[in-house]
Amino acid sequence: MKKTIAVIFGGRSAEHDVSIITAHTPIIESLLASGQFDVWPVYIAKDGSWYADKQMNDLEFFKHPDFESRLLRQKKVQLLFDRGLKIIWPGMMQKTVHIDVAFPAMHGTFGEDGSLMGLLRMAGVPFVGCDLFASAVSMDKMLTKHVLAAEGIPVVPYVWFTKYDWEKDKKIWLEKITALQRPLFVKPVHLGSSIAIAKVKNDTELENAIEVAFHYDDKVLVEESVENLIEVTLPIIGNDEPQLAAIEKPRSKTGFFDYTEKYLSGGKKGGGGVNNEYSEIPANIGEDLTKLVLDLGKKTYLTLGCSGIARVDFLIDGSSHRVYVNEVNTLPGSLYVHNWKRAGVSGVELVTKLVTLAEERFKSQQETIYTFSSDILSKSGGSKMGE
Amino acid sequence: MIRSFLSRYHPRYIRSLVYMLQASEYDVRDYLKWYHRTKDFTHVERRKSLVKTGKVLLLLGMAWIVLLLLYGAAIFLWWQSDALFASLLGLILLLLTPFLLAYLIVIPLGIIRFFIQLPVEYFLLRRTQQELATHKAVKIAIAGSFGKTSMREILKTVLSQGKKVAAPPESFNTPLGIRKFVNGLAGNEEVLIFELGEYYPGDVAALCRLVNPQWGVITGVNEAHLEKFKSVDAAAKTIFELADWLGAQPLYINGESNLAQKNARPGDLIYSRSGVGEWKVEDAKSDLTGTSFVLIKGNTTFQLHSGLLGLHQVGPLAAAVDIASRLGLSAQEIERGVAATKPFAHRLEPRTDQSGAVTLDDSYNGNPDGVKAVIEFLASLKDHRRFYVTPGLVEMGRRSEAIHREIGKQLAAAHIEKVVLIKNSVTSWVAEGLREVHYDGEIIWFDDGLSAFAALPHLTVKGDIVLLQNDWPDQYA
Repeated sequence: MKKTIAVIFGGRSAEHDVSIITAHTPIIESLLASGQFDVWPVYIAKDGSWYADKQMNDLEFFKHPDFESRLLRQKKVQLLFDRGLKIIWPGMMQKTVHIDVAFPAMHGTFGEDGSLMGLLRMAGVPFVGCDLFASAVSMDKMLTKHVLAAEGIPVVPYVWFTKYDWEKDKKIWLEKITALQRPLFVKPVHLGSSIAIAKVKNDTELENAIEVAFHYDDKVLVEESVENLIEVTLPIIGNDEPQLAAIEKPRSKTGFFDYTEKYLSGGKKGGGGVNNEYSEIPANIGEDLTKLVLDLGKKTYLTLGCSGIARVDFLIDGSSHRVYVNEVNTLPGSLYVHNWKRAGVSGVELVTKLVTLAEERFKSQQETIYTFSSDILSKSGGSKMGE
Repeated sequence: MIRSFLSRYHPRYIRSLVYMLQASEYDVRDYLKWYHRTKDFTHVERRKSLVKTGKVLLLLGMAWIVLLLLYGAAIFLWWQSDALFASLLGLILLLLTPFLLAYLIVIPLGIIRFFIQLPVEYFLLRRTQQELATHKAVKIAIAGSFGKTSMREILKTVLSQGKKVAAPPESFNTPLGIRKFVNGLAGNEEVLIFELGEYYPGDVAALCRLVNPQWGVITGVNEAHLEKFKSVDAAAKTIFELADWLGAQPLYINGESNLAQKNARPGDLIYSRSGVGEWKVEDAKSDLTGTSFVLIKGNTTFQLHSGLLGLHQVGPLAAAVDIASRLGLSAQEIERGVAATKPFAHRLEPRTDQSGAVTLDDSYNGNPDGVKAVIEFLASLKDHRRFYVTPGLVEMGRRSEAIHREIGKQLAAAHIEKVVLIKNSVTSWVAEGLREVHYDGEIIWFDDGLSAFAALPHLTVKGDIVLLQNDWPDQYA
């Protein structure tokens, strides 16, 4: 019998549209191609409403010029946590579908940041990808750096502050930033897909970039730019024993990956939203650097407690050959399926493996004891406890 | 059952009938066979859709008029007559109307055919015959159950290096197709190449009378179109009508087709991967980059490389070299000509997708010999994961089960890793053939071709080879 799987995408995030692409190519298409799953697309609109309709298994549904009005005609669904996750279409002819596995395909806020994972944990349903804690830490570039640095994993020197801090006294922070070597990068700490990230060379550019970043986030990171930059990325899958794909090097035109380059630059035939042509796979960075990147990638994945899938991004100084972990993406755009295909893992093999990993992790969590019997309630109510 | 019965009363019913007439090239026999076999008429246009030509619009209009007249008569009988018998008759007519319509629709077709099409065709063909009789070019005719288009393209490519060559494009192998081609000739061509299509006994002889060939090539005889010929012997007899026409003039016969070779006469030139006539083939090799071999006759040696894939291409290439040599092409022209041959559209045509998987599009190859040759080629490709995708072969008649079981066995023997089957009336036999010899790979099923094509990019990785074998037209659904 086919397993029922809910692919959850969209969401209240700047990367809402990217999420739709990831959900369809490759996740839904590969799940359907496997013939092993009854696939329910669960779409979260920008206003936070939840919908589920098999028509949404086709990406064309979202490209239709009449999309908004077609969506309004759809019935919003409800969720029920009853020994697992159930989707309910309320009404006179109420319909309920039990979900065996959830496949989050959301980028950014309210999805990739751990929010959705928390909800799925509460529901008690196996779900694909990193769990709540790894997702929340990885979504915050500052927290990621703190955790990695504590484990001796090299990261680029940085300064971080909140919107409140900045508005309260810019000067303090601009002074702290002077300790960093220019040029600098300004980044909102929670956004992915390189949205609102800017490279700056002087104070005017710096202040402008910080202001822009605060439009998207309440916490901003300013870090040194690695010059003679070689930017590489490493997709990883697995739970306790991570499996590494090939190191990938972008053929960047703009100095670093921006949103346009990642998702829109001629990737029509990319078979996965991400443009295949922009990358060198495997990256030709020499044996020593390759080994170092693979080791750091694996260590980073395990340190952050990643499971299922993630992608670790690195910055390499081409002159000194120093390697820094830049950030971790717990839901790589389109799962980086183009890279996995080069490594001999097809789209179908990738998604079915991720489902298996989700089930294994869930099983292991089920074996963990979270509750136990106690007589604390019967003893309460009289004299103060602890007395 | 009820759904299929009701599908005859669906508004789309008439369109389905007209579509199938068009898909069957207005062959009433094929259309009626399809009609008797089909149960659900609501989803007929799967692979293609109705093209609204003048003929189609005329048929649609007439069909709707007939339908309304029949319904009108039925309702009139039912309501207007007090007699029980008449009411009953009206009811029966009402129920039978769609069935009657399916047969009545071919009447205007017959009228058009006998009173317009045939006289016009007769006139046009007479003119074609006269024009070709006076044309000075060497005329080469190609007949066979399979491989005609590949042979035509090989000959055209090789001979074009030293001669002005013309050949009808696409599959212009019917009398009217040839008429269209002759209309466009400049008159100064030195070689004309014709494919002679065969569907019924006498077809090849009729085309020979039209074309008046001096050279011939028989590419093979097998079970293709067996539903029409009923027996392979009848197919062979029809194809060898070319030999009867040529008499003592040169005829090349594919020695790798047992049924063709069996019918060869002394003096016919047999070609195969070993050679042709006095030409001997040595060191033949084929991979995804093409096919290379050495051709030797006495002191003459050709080092040849073609972009065509598979060792089964060596025989036709050798035949083309012999014909070119006899027509006076130089050694350089011949080598250049063979080098210029490359895979033809949908015939073992390779393309590599962005992930690095190689698709070999062999969707126009739907005959058992072609399938065998391709599986042999796949078997020779080592260090690749191979996907063989097929909806099976059509028109195999009573031999269908045996042929499909055999394909299964061949795939198992070649250790093809993944066999992707499209569900229909024949592919279960392929699966049975695979299981019979304890196939150790994976069988993947899809409900239809389109879902298989959509899924394949998600099943493959860099280095995989995906072979698409044959297409499954709607009239065989």
